[in-house]
Amino acid sequence: MMSPTEEDFELELRALPGVVNMGVRYSDKGDVDAVSLVVQGPDAATVRVVAKQIVSLYFPSATISIEEMKTIAPSNTATTLVMANRITLVRADFNSHVGSCEVHVTLNGRIGIGHSKNGPLIGGAEATLDALRHLDLEVPFYLVSSINIATSRGWPVIVTLRPTFNDVDRLGIAQADTELLSSAKATLSALNRFLDRATSEA
Amino acid sequence: MTDLDIATDALMASTAATEPWLFQAMIEELSTSELGLSFIYTVLDLLAKRYDLTDAIVVLNHDALAVQEFRLGGRAVGADYAHRIGREPGVYCEPDVVPQAERDAVRTACQLALSMRMARFTASHDALTTIANRRTFDVALTNSTVRAARYGWPFTLVLIDLRGLKAINDRSGHEYGDRLLRSFGFALRVCVRQGDLAARIGGDEFAVILNNAEGNEANAFIERLRQHIVSEGETIEFTMGTATSPRDSTDPAELSRIADARLYAKRGIIHQ
Repeated sequence: MMSPTEEDFELELRALPGVVNMGVRYSDKGDVDAVSLVVQGPDAATVRVVAKQIVSLYFPSATISIEEMKTIAPSNTATTLVMANRITLVRADFNSHVGSCEVHVTLNGRIGIGHSKNGPLIGGAEATLDALRHLDLEVPFYLVSSINIATSRGWPVIVTLRPTFNDVDRLGIAQADTELLSSAKATLSALNRFLDRATSEA
Repeated sequence: MTDLDIATDALMASTAATEPWLFQAMIEELSTSELGLSFIYTVLDLLAKRYDLTDAIVVLNHDALAVQEFRLGGRAVGADYAHRIGREPGVYCEPDVVPQAERDAVRTACQLALSMRMARFTASHDALTTIANRRTFDVALTNSTVRAARYGWPFTLVLIDLRGLKAINDRSGHEYGDRLLRSFGFALRVCVRQGDLAARIGGDEFAVILNNAEGNEANAFIERLRQHIVSEGETIEFTMGTATSPRDSTDPAELSRIADARLYAKRGIIHQ
């Protein structure tokens, strides 16, 4: 079991901007021997300096290695753990003046943009489906509901999609900074398995 | 009850019915400590044993940490691997044999553990400098004065005021001012001894509790701090006031007032 100090140490490193994950190697005596960090973003050099300071505070004799996560396209090496191609939500904006949502998703470097004028909650889901169609993906689902769970903090959103063929409804749930983001993410989450197939064929 | 307590109860009630092994893990963790990062690694380990996995990664999201990956055995994920997994929260297993419902339950339990741990961390630490915050300092000061009164264990309270921070912020921007504060917080952490406490108790005010320390130890600390700041090439100016318990007082508020008065007296000399 990790000590509270080790947990504080890990949280401090993970809280540095751009840190994606970290790993710790222990010596035979159980002391922290080496720390590996994976960093993404433009501030990798700054993170490197601060991370070294933090490591030196907690475990002065530990070595630290920092790996930068490149922004190049992923390799096509298929593994059962991950998908080679992946639809990623790029951004979701709500224009409060005209009440319209715009959602950007990406697949293999292509951007799909979708719109809806039904507010952030429902519009977020509709615009996401629209953006997928903009990527020329055939999405055989229609939106049944997009609701927020207002009983818990952060208001997660649940999106229900119904197939146009004879099958059960797909549910997705997500919690993000805004209702629009939650709705868009929940829509992608509901389509997870369908998109796995669709993107591998794309 | 806090929101997190309520969420824990609700999660445990649902987990008990659907994933008894996960429920058991939560019970065992809660019987010895609170849910934290340790629990996340324990659950990944249990999941790996349960399905004979060679690898398991849970991707979680938190406002303060952004998206974070935690891997079986506390190993780093590696940049290429992390890139291929993507940033979508979930549980990724090798081989891919774990039912989706069980992955969802694991992810939810781990998310809760991360949220609870972060809540504890942010409740006791200053967000900018990551040293102790005012709340932690107040508790530590009370405890130290109680020990000083009861057992005669001496300690020195050092109050520190950074000079000219407002002018620096106005002249060079808040980003630069924040960097100075972080540097100073780090300098305090480097210079205190194990068992001492450094805290940020206000915008440009810091405090240090030097346990089992009177005049000489406090002076040595102040000298270490000055030397460290000079060696780092920083141009941070500060004023200090100290008070020692039980000699000056065994009342935390009184001790703070004495240290504060000495700090202001020094500041007055500087201004003159």
